[in-house]
Amino acid sequence: MKRSDGKGSPQDTGDVFKLIFDRIQTGIIVIDPEQHIIVDINNHAEELLGIKREALKGTTCNETICPSHKGACPVTDLHTPLQNSEHILISTTGEKIPVLKTIAEASMGGKVYLIESFVDIRDRKIAEDRKVALLAYLNEAFFRIRTPLELIGQNLSTIAGQVGSATYTTEDIRSQLAINAKNIATIVATLEDLAAKAKEGDNEIPKGYLDFLSGK
Amino acid sequence: MLSAPHEINHLNVAVTKKILDNGCKPLVISLNQPGMVMKKTYAREGILPEAYYVIDAMTHYSGGEMVPMPQIRYVNHPADLTGLGIAITETLKAMPPVHKCILFDSLSLLLIHTPTSTAGKFLHFLTNNLRIAEASGIFLSADVGIDPVILSQISTFVDRVVTFDKLR
Repeated sequence: MKRSDGKGSPQDTGDVFKLIFDRIQTGIIVIDPEQHIIVDINNHAEELLGIKREALKGTTCNETICPSHKGACPVTDLHTPLQNSEHILISTTGEKIPVLKTIAEASMGGKVYLIESFVDIRDRKIAEDRKVALLAYLNEAFFRIRTPLELIGQNLSTIAGQVGSATYTTEDIRSQLAINAKNIATIVATLEDLAAKAKEGDNEIPKGYLDFLSGK
Repeated sequence: MLSAPHEINHLNVAVTKKILDNGCKPLVISLNQPGMVMKKTYAREGILPEAYYVIDAMTHYSGGEMVPMPQIRYVNHPADLTGLGIAITETLKAMPPVHKCILFDSLSLLLIHTPTSTAGKFLHFLTNNLRIAEASGIFLSADVGIDPVILSQISTFVDRVVTFDKLR
């Protein structure tokens, strides 16, 4: 199909798709499923993987971009559908990049190819981790502030009942009031500390706790 | 043992009485009241000072005088977990070998002074020491005062989590 628009416009659909292939902000790798040979990759995939197209073309996918061993391809051998599943892409620098990956079959020129596409979700993961960390700080604040305050309220009520009784001396009342005043001051300091840590994105919350909150 | 926050002081007295009924002389670790006040509160309930040991982390914290008394051991600050650990371990060693037990009052108040993760590690350390000393331990907490992660951790190294209602 030829287009007859003005100068500088893509000349045919091949040019159009080539342009899209290289400009789209989704990594795309075209694989020959019979030999698991990488046929082509686009610019964004090059950038994410940190490797030049020419260095990847012609190599087998399980030796370069896929952690699965030969004979254990999730698509052709294990027949596992991959659609928007979270995966980790390992770049040539060793950086682990979280991606949403989809693998689809496509027939081109009478031959079937696997089209592997992936979207970089690093920003989304950072936002999710931040949300979980904030939840953890909120939870910590709840347990270290709300319940102790309830207990302090209860203690103050008990102390009020002790005033004027023959059993408890002025020193007994003073010492208990001092404890509860100090506890309130400690709680305020904890609240300020937690707020500062949450603001800084401090990573003090234990990993097990973060995993629990994120449902892992 | 869990209870509603407004019942935790009643829980302390009720559990101490149960422990005494079972022929045990408990070591009470108080992060709530100074030892002197606790002694009077117990006395009002008919619990005599000779019937229990105390680790008092509150008298010095309140600015009070730490008067040496038999069966009372002082710790300077409720956040001094090292001091608490040493005091508990040494008192357990000094206790008669049969029917040793501790009553920890309370986890919820410990959380005023330490992060939940540190409190969890301290409890783990404490329960290990109890096993070594062949002692029983009862940890009091407000029922909404314990983080679910810490509670699930505690559940792995305690025999049972009981709520106050079930005692009645």
